[in-house]
Amino acid sequence: MNFRQMLKRNEFYIFLLVILFSIAVTLKNPVFVSPGNLLSLLKTSSGSAVFAVGILIVLISGGFDVSSTSIAICAQYLTVNLIMHRGWDHIAVAFLVAALLGACMGAVNAVFVAFFRLPTLIVTLGTASLFHGALLEFVGTKAVNLGDLPQCFKTFGLVSLWPKGPSALFGILCLVLAVSWAILRHTMTGRGIYAIGGDIEAARNSGFRVKRIQFFIYCYVGLLAGIAGIMHLCLIRYANPNYLVGTEMAIIAAVVLGGARITGGTGTLGGTMLGMALIVIVQKNLVLLGLSSYWEQFFVGAVIIIGVALTYGDLGSAFGRLHRRES
Amino acid sequence: MNQRSFKGYPLLLVILLITGVFAFTMPGKFLSPENLASMASQLPEFGFLALAMMLAMITGGIDLSVVAVANLSGVAAAMVLTSERLAGAMSLGSLIALAVFGALLVAGLCGLINGLLITRLNVPAILATLGSQWLFLGLAVVITKGHSVSGLPDAFAYVGNGNYRGVPVSFLALLAVAGLTALLLTRTRLGVRMYRVGGSPRVARFSGINNRRVLMATYIMAALLAGLSSLIMISRANSMRPGYGDAYLLQAILVVVLGGTDPAGGSGSVLGLLMAIVILQVSQSGLNILSFSPFFKKFTWGLALLVVMVLNHLIARRAANRIKT
Repeated sequence: MNFRQMLKRNEFYIFLLVILFSIAVTLKNPVFVSPGNLLSLLKTSSGSAVFAVGILIVLISGGFDVSSTSIAICAQYLTVNLIMHRGWDHIAVAFLVAALLGACMGAVNAVFVAFFRLPTLIVTLGTASLFHGALLEFVGTKAVNLGDLPQCFKTFGLVSLWPKGPSALFGILCLVLAVSWAILRHTMTGRGIYAIGGDIEAARNSGFRVKRIQFFIYCYVGLLAGIAGIMHLCLIRYANPNYLVGTEMAIIAAVVLGGARITGGTGTLGGTMLGMALIVIVQKNLVLLGLSSYWEQFFVGAVIIIGVALTYGDLGSAFGRLHRRES
Repeated sequence: MNQRSFKGYPLLLVILLITGVFAFTMPGKFLSPENLASMASQLPEFGFLALAMMLAMITGGIDLSVVAVANLSGVAAAMVLTSERLAGAMSLGSLIALAVFGALLVAGLCGLINGLLITRLNVPAILATLGSQWLFLGLAVVITKGHSVSGLPDAFAYVGNGNYRGVPVSFLALLAVAGLTALLLTRTRLGVRMYRVGGSPRVARFSGINNRRVLMATYIMAALLAGLSSLIMISRANSMRPGYGDAYLLQAILVVVLGGTDPAGGSGSVLGLLMAIVILQVSQSGLNILSFSPFFKKFTWGLALLVVMVLNHLIARRAANRIKT
């Protein structure tokens, strides 16, 4: 890819922003680039990044999913309770159960989207409310604190891949990225996801099994949400059925910032990770820049607006050209 | 699609059914004047937000920033009302007028920002308002440092808590504004154009409609309605806290869809919306009296939204089949 092509890509600008912001933070506080800080940043944001991968896949297919955090918290809380009752105290079991539960809840989304062809935003708003309401009403509202938590959750968050290396949570993110990349790039289903997002009728006419692919998308996103739910639990070591819900918009914002178009058909994993990095760095380091934490939401909003303005309207032409564009 | 014909009979039936069930299971309690009055006073602050959401959805967009706009303009109004310097300089009446003006001005500016993002930078409404939602809420947090602004003058409480012949003033205000919105949508050129733009932006453009101007007006009106809602919020709570009412966002979308507005744009009526609001309020109040938990309510909203969407889909498919055969 030559330089001119690079200038046209969203990822390039987000990358520049990440670098600029990091330099600004480092000048204020050199601790920012210390290995310890960077590793902890990776560890704390790995869970959100797994959500972002799921959201990206839905966006590529032209959908919009606001239910993934609700699915995650349901899967997490059910898994914790199940493991506490049954005594299957192993982290692999936890991930497996949560992923399965997540995929089942994703399948509910898929039924409404694929068979009834309902708008994805409305469906996922409904199921988010349905799942989370059902969890709190029928399962329980009591948080599980560190003392009562099964052993596997207590220790997994502290494990690192190698001594003084990145956390095991980051390892899981890498695994998710690798699998998702392989699906998107090297399988017919993956190409189908892009095709549906580009033009659903054209995809149908060219022989993609749209319903089956949509089913796959929403189950896979649910599965990732279940995994992210367990990652979040291992990170904070406290299972509160009210956590996570409400953070979905920030994750969607990060994905959109990374160049995924809401109209579907485009978006890359690399861009998504850059968008995520930008949001995380802005959120966690405003204080280092001497701004109080009250500014956090405002800045995230500003970053999103600048990001989407860059993606959708060419900002340059909006200011520079006076004649009206045909739009 | 003809937006003028009345298609709300199923909704009316649902209202009667739910009210009947609650009135039957709780004789003397549910239909008591106190409960009716309390329902009528809880409804308006949400009703304005739902109207705002409906305007955006009729044009095929969505406004995720309505609650944030209400927060920011509520903070502005509350700050005017609690300012000692202003209170010393003018009479109470002009202070209240200034606060109302301030809230609407702030809301209007928010709507202008949304409109500019959507019409000038071509950002899809859902993303523009997703971003601006954080911006407005963030601004409210920065201004108040996360605390609530409280201690409004007593006279202002009349807006949210006052009664006129037993009917809450805020409820009458909602009815009046809803009536005006209905007139706007069905009897003015702008309103009809909003349906056209929502139905098909391309066709609208080819028939000589300036889509940008219509969308700009839509998002400014939506923000102004959110501003009106904020006045009732601060009056009822006697304070404004950034983050107040964040659950209203989902409920607003729910009620708009329930009221027969097509999320894809091009249809929707104020009457349907009002009936949907009444359904939500009646069921909520009934579940409250029967002491169901708020979580159960959340569950039923989600269920209701999905069921209504599926029913709409099935009805539309049957109608389409009938035309074919």
